[in-house]
Amino acid sequence: MSQTRLLDLVKTQCRIFSLNFNPQRLRLGNKVLRQRLRGPALASWYPKQVVSFQDLQNTYKPLGLTTFDEAEDDREEAIQIAKLRGKGRPKKKRTAAESRSAKKKK
Amino acid sequence: MFAHQTRSLLGAGRNFRVSVPIRSLSTPTQPTAPATTPETVSQPTPTPVAPVAEAASTPETPKTPEVPEQPLETRVKEWSERLGALGSETRLPRSVQAIYMRPLRRKAEYGLPVCDLQLRSYSVENVEFFADFAIRAAYYLNLPVSGPVPLPRIVERWTVPRSNFVHKKSQENFERITLRRLVQIKDGNPKAVQAWLAFLRKHAFYGVGMKANVWEHDSLDVGKSMDESVAEIEKSLAPKLAQFGQRKDNSLGQSIFDTLDSDRFAERKNL
Amino acid sequence: MSKVASLFHPKRLNLSGFTNIRVIRDNNKRMAVEQNEPERQALRYMIRNTSLPGRVRAQAQLQLSQMHAYTRPTQVKNRCVASGHARSVIRDFRLNRYQFRMQALAGHLPGVKKASW
Repeated sequence: MSQTRLLDLVKTQCRIFSLNFNPQRLRLGNKVLRQRLRGPALASWYPKQVVSFQDLQNTYKPLGLTTFDEAEDDREEAIQIAKLRGKGRPKKKRTAAESRSAKKKK
Repeated sequence: MFAHQTRSLLGAGRNFRVSVPIRSLSTPTQPTAPATTPETVSQPTPTPVAPVAEAASTPETPKTPEVPEQPLETRVKEWSERLGALGSETRLPRSVQAIYMRPLRRKAEYGLPVCDLQLRSYSVENVEFFADFAIRAAYYLNLPVSGPVPLPRIVERWTVPRSNFVHKKSQENFERITLRRLVQIKDGNPKAVQAWLAFLRKHAFYGVGMKANVWEHDSLDVGKSMDESVAEIEKSLAPKLAQFGQRKDNSLGQSIFDTLDSDRFAERKNL
Repeated sequence: MSKVASLFHPKRLNLSGFTNIRVIRDNNKRMAVEQNEPERQALRYMIRNTSLPGRVRAQAQLQLSQMHAYTRPTQVKNRCVASGHARSVIRDFRLNRYQFRMQALAGHLPGVKKASW
């Protein structure tokens, strides 16, 4: 069988099985296209939160029902107490000048 | 089918009678209980229990020793009598008796494998039980079945240090052994196989995983039928294939640089 | 081009289980990788394809190197789901060796038993 016949055979084979016909063995980078996408597997490593207590509150609020999130209430109470004691969060510095003056006061 | 097995089947039924028919017979006694003497009413629970235990060992005791002075005319039949009569006069349904026997099987005519079902579990009882269940279900769906074939166990082992790295010399080994059973369906109707698989999924057992390989066979004229269906498939695929690959009549007369500098790439770059 | 990592912070944290800043950061990276993977692969293909003009390949190289570090899959690190620890994480359970041991001894991992042979 001649060389051209063999090449033709390979060409048809590649066409039928949708492969890349590359007799010169050029580096066409097709191996990148053949790789699987790893993103979905990577992204599913950590368990995702499906429902939160807030979702529950949001669903029950329109029905006129009251819900109590004790952990959240406790947190807010603690913040209030801290503020009264003067131990609350400092005010956010929005501009460069504000932050500089704060530093100077020190 | 059962004719030659009748004796053994009845024997099996007798052994297990204690657990099975008592529940079904417990209801009719309650309305008749007040008709008996107050002694029996005061202790309704212990009296049935004692004769039952007796009945299991000696079914031919007509009278219990506890109530011999009762008038015979009004007396309700005792448990032992009822059960004795049940053993000699009646029997459990054949399908129920079959549960105590080895699973029945259909005979494969051609032996052509149609479906491989692999069951996996970490416990022997679960996988054995469910394989048995699958085989019985296949019998009633008229599917010839072979198995359960015990496949090699998958052993995974992990060795972890018991505490900090300093104490690396003290480690602990853990292992997880996956047990597998293969159930193969031979020359069954594809629809029946699907029904079988659906039934097994519906009654899936805890701690048992299932994996099925189904093979469908076609007549020798497969090519012809496939050729006929090509037009239909192409029609349904056309909108999707139109989106795929590079078109010769590329409407965007852009070079690759324009594409790289385009908005779509630019907004990604800003991330 | 801004290189601020905070761009990858989600509006609302949707992680359950153990969370600390390192877990959140790693999760952000994972999300970014997933989102940008097709683009990265396209650029990688262009760089590797010797039949393309050299200028195009150089440009693609430049673009790939200018993408944010968070979109790079090598930035992702497997962390323990129950404690956030990043060392000796057993892939099958996504647990750190210590958490694995505790949960295995408590019987929380189906089929895992103490082995001796």
